[in-house]
Amino acid sequence: MSENIKIYKKTEEGYPKNLLQLPDAPSRLYVLGELPDPMRPAIAIVGARNCSSYGKNMAYEYARILTQRGIQVISGLARGVDAAAHAGALAAGGKTYGVMGCGVDFCYPTSSRKLYHVMQQQGGILSEFAPGTPPLSYHFPLRNRIISGLSGAILVVEAKEKSGSLITADAALEQGRTVFALPGRVGDLLSEGCNRLIYQGAIPAWKPEIILEEMEWTGKKEIIQEDFTQEKKIVLAREDDLVYSCLDLNPKAVSQLQDETGLPSGSLLKSLYYLTAKDLAREVWQNYYIRTEKRWA
Amino acid sequence: MYTSILSATMQGIRAIPVQVEVDVSPGLPGFSMVGTVNSQVREAQDRVRTSLHNLEIPVPPRRITINLSPADVPKAGTGFDLPITAAILESLGQLPKGGLESVMVTGEVGLDGQIKKVRGVLAMVEEARKSGCQGCIVPWENRREAQMIQGIRSVGVRNLGEFMRTVRERTWEHPEKEREKMEIAPEITADFREIKGQTAAKRGALLAAAGFHNILLMGPPGSGKTMVAKRIPGLLPALSHEEAMEITSIYSVAGLLSSKVPWVSNRPFRSPHHTISPQALAGGGKIPMPGEITLAHKGVLFLDELPEMKRETLEILRQPLEDGEIHIARVGGRYSFPAEFLLVGAMNPCPCGYYPDRNRCDCGEHEIKRYQQRISQAFLDRMDICVTTNAATYGEFRGEIPDSDSIQWSTENMRKEVERARLIQKERLKESGICYNSQIPPGEISTYCKTSEEAEKMLQGAFEKLHLSGRACNRILRVARTAADLAGKEQIEEEEIAEAIGYRSFDKHSWK
Repeated sequence: MSENIKIYKKTEEGYPKNLLQLPDAPSRLYVLGELPDPMRPAIAIVGARNCSSYGKNMAYEYARILTQRGIQVISGLARGVDAAAHAGALAAGGKTYGVMGCGVDFCYPTSSRKLYHVMQQQGGILSEFAPGTPPLSYHFPLRNRIISGLSGAILVVEAKEKSGSLITADAALEQGRTVFALPGRVGDLLSEGCNRLIYQGAIPAWKPEIILEEMEWTGKKEIIQEDFTQEKKIVLAREDDLVYSCLDLNPKAVSQLQDETGLPSGSLLKSLYYLTAKDLAREVWQNYYIRTEKRWA
Repeated sequence: MYTSILSATMQGIRAIPVQVEVDVSPGLPGFSMVGTVNSQVREAQDRVRTSLHNLEIPVPPRRITINLSPADVPKAGTGFDLPITAAILESLGQLPKGGLESVMVTGEVGLDGQIKKVRGVLAMVEEARKSGCQGCIVPWENRREAQMIQGIRSVGVRNLGEFMRTVRERTWEHPEKEREKMEIAPEITADFREIKGQTAAKRGALLAAAGFHNILLMGPPGSGKTMVAKRIPGLLPALSHEEAMEITSIYSVAGLLSSKVPWVSNRPFRSPHHTISPQALAGGGKIPMPGEITLAHKGVLFLDELPEMKRETLEILRQPLEDGEIHIARVGGRYSFPAEFLLVGAMNPCPCGYYPDRNRCDCGEHEIKRYQQRISQAFLDRMDICVTTNAATYGEFRGEIPDSDSIQWSTENMRKEVERARLIQKERLKESGICYNSQIPPGEISTYCKTSEEAEKMLQGAFEKLHLSGRACNRILRVARTAADLAGKEQIEEEEIAEAIGYRSFDKHSWK
C-alpha cells in the first residue's frame, strides 16, 4: 500500500494553498487517494462520536445535499457524525476527504473500514503523520486544525458542552473560517455545544441552503444550480399519512406510535414498513423509528 | 436367612425397580453393601443399625449382606433406608415372612425411627403400578403425591413403628377412603392490566403465548421487562391432566413439591439468575438431576440480563430449543429430560441501558455492538419475536389507564385470544402431530403459511433488503401465521408479515 501514498511538502508545488495560510501548517501531508480540489468549495462536517440518531441522520442528509450541489465534504473518519457525513457524501456520488490522527496506512477506527477503502477511490485519506504512526490521543486535536484549514466553512452537527468538535470550531475561528452549527432541542445534552456556538455567533444551519447562501457559494459556476428541495409531492395512503405525521426526527418507539395513532399493531407496522421502503422513515433501532425526509404534500 | 423387597431408584425422570436383597447368616459379624451404590446409599447401614438399636430391636452379631439388584445400575438417594430396614426385620423374624411381597417400599429413616420424605415418589409409584404391585409404602409426607397414581394403593407411614404395624395389618389391602383429586386451577398472580403503556411488549407477549414463540424483551432498566415476562405464563392455556402429571413427576424427582399441594397446577415459571452454570441450566450431576430448562417444561423459562450470562451457558439452550428435550451423557448412562419451554429473554440495549436515549446514554457504538455480540447470532436467530420496552413517562406511570386498555390488555382477555388462536392451530395442525405454529417444520411452511400476493411481495422485498437467511424467513412466516390466527384470518396478509418483520429480532440492523 505504501507505494500509493503521495507526499506533499509545504515547500513544494501541489501543497494545499489554504493550509499555507496557517501559522502551524503541517510540513508534509501524506495522502492516499487525492487532495481536495482547490477550485471547488469545501465544508468540514464534524460532531460527536456517540451521537444520537438525529445527529447521524442530519450529518448524512446535510452532506448528501451539499455534495449534490458540488461541495466537497471533509471530516475526520471517526465514528458517529464524521462517518455519517462521509457516508452521505458518498451516497450522493461525490468525493469526500478524511483527515486522520494516525498514519494513512492505518484504518482507525476499524468501524470505518468500509469508508476508508471507498474514500481512497472517491476522495482521499489525509494525514500529517508519517505512515506507521499509531493513533495516539493527542494526535486528534492536532488533526482538527487541518480539517478546518482545508475547508471554507465548518458545520458542527452535535456536540456536548465539552467536545473535541468545539476544538475544531475554535481552530476554524482562529483560521478565519465561518462556523455553522446545527440547532437542537433545548435540554438535549448533545445539542448544548451547538446551541452555545450559536449564542457565541455561529450561524444556525437550520437547512442546508443556509450554508450555500451565507458562503455565497451559489454563484460559482461549479455549483449545480438545480433546486433539489423542489416540492416532492408524494401522496400517501390515509393510514401511512397518519403514521408519518406522528413520526419525528427523534426516535419514537412503536408503543408510543401505537398510542398516538390508535392503530392496531399490524396496521401500524405495515405503514411503517411502506414508509421505510419509500425512504420516508427509518428504523434506527429495534422498534424505534424516525422521519427521514421532508415531504410536502 | 434371605429376604428380598422391592424398591426403586431414579434414572433421569424414570424410576427403575430395584430388588433389595438382604441375607443374615452366621459368620464374622459385619454389614456389607454391594450393587453400585453411592455414598448416600452406603450411609444407610449406619442409619438402619442405629434406628433399630434405638427402637430396642436387637441386631444379632451376624454377617449381614445387602445387595441392590440389578447390580449394574448406579443407585443414589436415601430411599433405600426403609426397604433395607424392612428386609432386615423380616430376616430377623420381626415381620411376617413374605409380608411385603408385591409391595414397593421407599423412605429415608432417621436415627430415631422417623421416616422422612424422598424424591421421585410419583414416578416410583407409577412404575410399581406398571409392574403389577398391589401397594406402595411411602413416607407420610409423600403420601398425597403417591396417591395421585390411580390403580394402586399407597400408604404413608410416619415412623418405623407405624411401618411395622402397616405391614402386619396389610393396610394396603383395606378399602380406601376417598382419594384426593388433583385440582388444576391456574391462579393468576399477576395481571397484564397492571402494566402501563408498553403496548408493543404486550402485543409481543400475546403473539409469543399464542404460537409458543420465543421472545426477547429489550429496554432500559425499570421499564417493565420482568413484569411482562412474569405475566406470560398466565396467558398460556390451562394444563391438561397429562401435562400436569408430567410436570409433577419432574418436580417430584427434583424434590420441589410442597407437601401441602403435592402437584403442579400452574404453568411453571423459572427465572434462574444469570450466574447459573451450564449444568444447573441443562441438568447435571453424576446421576443427572433435572435442570432449569426441564423444570420449565410446558411453561416459561425467563432469562434476565441475557448478555451477562456466560456464552457457553446460553449456547447449551440451542439444542433443546430445537428438539424440546435434552440429552445428557454420563458415565452411568444416557439420560433424556423433556424441555419444551417458552424462552423469554430480557436485556438492556447497551451497557448503561438507556440507548437510544442519547441524553442518558453515552455508550460508544462499539461498546453497544460488543455488548450485543455477547449473544451469538445463532441464539438470536432462535428468538422469533423481539420487542422493546420504553421508559414510561410520569403521566403514563401515575395516570389512570383508560378502561378500554385495561379490558383489552387484561390477562383474562388476552388468554381468551390465545385460546382461540390455539384452537385454530390445533385444528390446522392435527394431522402433522404438532401443536403450535412455532413447531411447523420447514418443509411444511408453504402448506400451512399461505400468503396473499401483496404479502408475498412484501416478504420478498424484506428478504432482499434485510439480507434475511432462510431460517429467519421461515420464522417470520411462523410468527405471521400466529398473527393471522389471532386475527382469525385464513390467509397471511401484509399486516401480519409487517408485524412479524417489525418484531423480528434485531439481527436486521446493520450498523453503519
